[in-house]
Amino acid sequence: MTEDILALIKGNVIQGRVTQDDEGFDEGVVGQPGVSELTEKALARGIGLRDIINKGLTEGMDIVGQKFEAKEYYIPDMLASAEAVGAAMEILEPHLAKSGIKSKGKIIVATVEGDLHDIGKNIVSILLRGAGYMVKDLGNDVSPQTIVAAVIEEKPQFVGLSALLTSTMIHMRDTIQALTASGLRDKVKIIIGGAAVSEKFAQSIGADGYGADGFQAVRVTESLSSSKENKGGDHG
Amino acid sequence: MIRKGLAGGSFKPLTEESIDRIHQTAMRVIEDVGFEVNSEIALELFKGAGAWVDREKHLVRLSRKRVMELIEMAPSEIRLCGQDEKHDILLGGQRVYTGTGGTALYIYHPDTGQKQLATLDDLKRIAKLVEQLDNIHLFMLPTYPSELPVEQVDVNRFFAGLDNTTKHVMGGIYTLDGVKQVIRMAEIIAGSGERLHQRPIISMITCSMSPLKMDRHYGDLVVTIAQAGIPLVCPAEPLCGATSPVTLAGNLVIQTVDSLTGVLLTQIVNPGTPVVFGSVSASTDFRDLKYLAGSVEMGLLNAAGAQIAQFYKLPFYATGGMTDSKVLDAQSGYESALTSLLCALAGANFIHDAAGLMEFALTTCYEKYVIDNEILGMVMRAVEGIAVNDETLAFDLIKQVGPGGNFITAKHTRHFMRDEHYQPSLSDRDSREEWEARGGKTTWERAAEGAKEIIANHNYSLPAAVRQQVLSEIADIVD
Repeated sequence: MTEDILALIKGNVIQGRVTQDDEGFDEGVVGQPGVSELTEKALARGIGLRDIINKGLTEGMDIVGQKFEAKEYYIPDMLASAEAVGAAMEILEPHLAKSGIKSKGKIIVATVEGDLHDIGKNIVSILLRGAGYMVKDLGNDVSPQTIVAAVIEEKPQFVGLSALLTSTMIHMRDTIQALTASGLRDKVKIIIGGAAVSEKFAQSIGADGYGADGFQAVRVTESLSSSKENKGGDHG
Repeated sequence: MIRKGLAGGSFKPLTEESIDRIHQTAMRVIEDVGFEVNSEIALELFKGAGAWVDREKHLVRLSRKRVMELIEMAPSEIRLCGQDEKHDILLGGQRVYTGTGGTALYIYHPDTGQKQLATLDDLKRIAKLVEQLDNIHLFMLPTYPSELPVEQVDVNRFFAGLDNTTKHVMGGIYTLDGVKQVIRMAEIIAGSGERLHQRPIISMITCSMSPLKMDRHYGDLVVTIAQAGIPLVCPAEPLCGATSPVTLAGNLVIQTVDSLTGVLLTQIVNPGTPVVFGSVSASTDFRDLKYLAGSVEMGLLNAAGAQIAQFYKLPFYATGGMTDSKVLDAQSGYESALTSLLCALAGANFIHDAAGLMEFALTTCYEKYVIDNEILGMVMRAVEGIAVNDETLAFDLIKQVGPGGNFITAKHTRHFMRDEHYQPSLSDRDSREEWEARGGKTTWERAAEGAKEIIANHNYSLPAAVRQQVLSEIADIVD
């Protein structure tokens, strides 16, 4: 029975179905339980949190990633699956806290001051949630001061900054300088992305990482999470 | 013979009922959903014009009645003038013209396979090239000079255009001061402010931000340009599945609302401002959400946009003629030809981007201007269609020649052959032996020779006295 529910969670992550009302990749699945209902059910049955995450959600996402690589899945398919995982993680979160299992970390994301383009940032947020991170999205046109205040308030391990325009990317530097001036720079890892910026630019302004696209943003976050010098979380 | 301003309209991807449904839905969006206006001055103007304004959300809604009243104020025809009158074009109705487009950051050199950041010199050379390519009717500033600080970009881009071609110069703009400098420069060249209004040798472009959003900076620029009465294009660039619904009809709704947003603002600022309804509708690559420049859906969307513009009686700016290919190859040819053709046959007034752009419009290429000039010549011939009258039906001639005869020596043949049949300037129609004897060159090799010849041997510049006045009065021009 346990195996069945986990297989169903995995299968529905692959289908990209958050709830029973969602369509999947395949036809004729509307009305069957989605990842949210199945996760609740798994909890009610007393199935272990680690099993739900590892054998259900993560294994499902791995297959989604393979399908994307094989050009069978497109970005909207991938995002639907990531949303399903994000929804499940939200359901699991209070239980994780109680059982002492550490979350992968919290990340604040924002499109920087002067820039109203937030599609890329929103995609990155969904993918990060899908990868098991807690994401606090500050929106677009966000000033360095607002980001500093949010870092104090939310105590994240990561800050993700986005800019589409060459005229606003400079505010990424301003934001990093504001964090430094507030003594918060070494509390967070800063990852930047967006059409205007590059690896070189990231280095020049003292960011910790650069994601050329949403998937790379997740990979960079993962690699910074595992890096030994990561002091993130110490203040949390 | 140069074909331009011929009437398209034979291709209609939308039925009248479809156009009406797109219109009704667009009006519902403007009434019920509204659009975000991030320019304070534009927001005030909308409020003054009777819009419902939510200051906190920067949201503007208008009644469909008010929308239609404002659209009515906009001229249905706009003359864009060249420095040479023979290059004047009259946008409106179903008349079709073509032009370059941009703004590309890079320039590609097929002989080395390298691309590099484009410079002001590249822009000048492209202007010289386009001056000589007859099937490109308008010069839209195609590249961004990477070596200049942004405050010098506007005036130098427009000067590069005006000093190297007598065709009309249209371009995107970047700063408020730049707009003012460009207008002053154009006044000097035109002779006076009044003469610039009578014969606008420049026009400008500002963009909406799909979906349903007007950027603060561009909102301010629209107001400044409309106040000056300079012809303005307000295109929107909704991308299927990213910044608009994935469906083509849904994209057209967003396209319509977003472009109308700019049109409405210009008429509020200055009723009668010459404004062009613009479409940069396109698809995305669903694997990474890249902007695509060569999809067949883009051709359909921009052809449909022409019908919608005709419905509103607004001049139309379409997007077509580009490619996603990184090199000049079969893909660059078929994508450029197909998208241009669909727009032209639908009667799109000005097809921008129709020459010189490749690699998702990121990159421009000298050789591609020459190749696209050929494509556009063929496209315009298709627009011209088939003339049917006594002379072209040629009954008398058929009777005279009779069974088993031939038409080679008929005067009728000599009289009509060059006009009835497009004469290529680039395409290879040699026999294999002839072609081999001439070096067996590919299309882009021949295009490269053509481009080099034009740039080396043709040189327009502004009349000396005018040029001197511009240089002495307008700071920042890099000569």
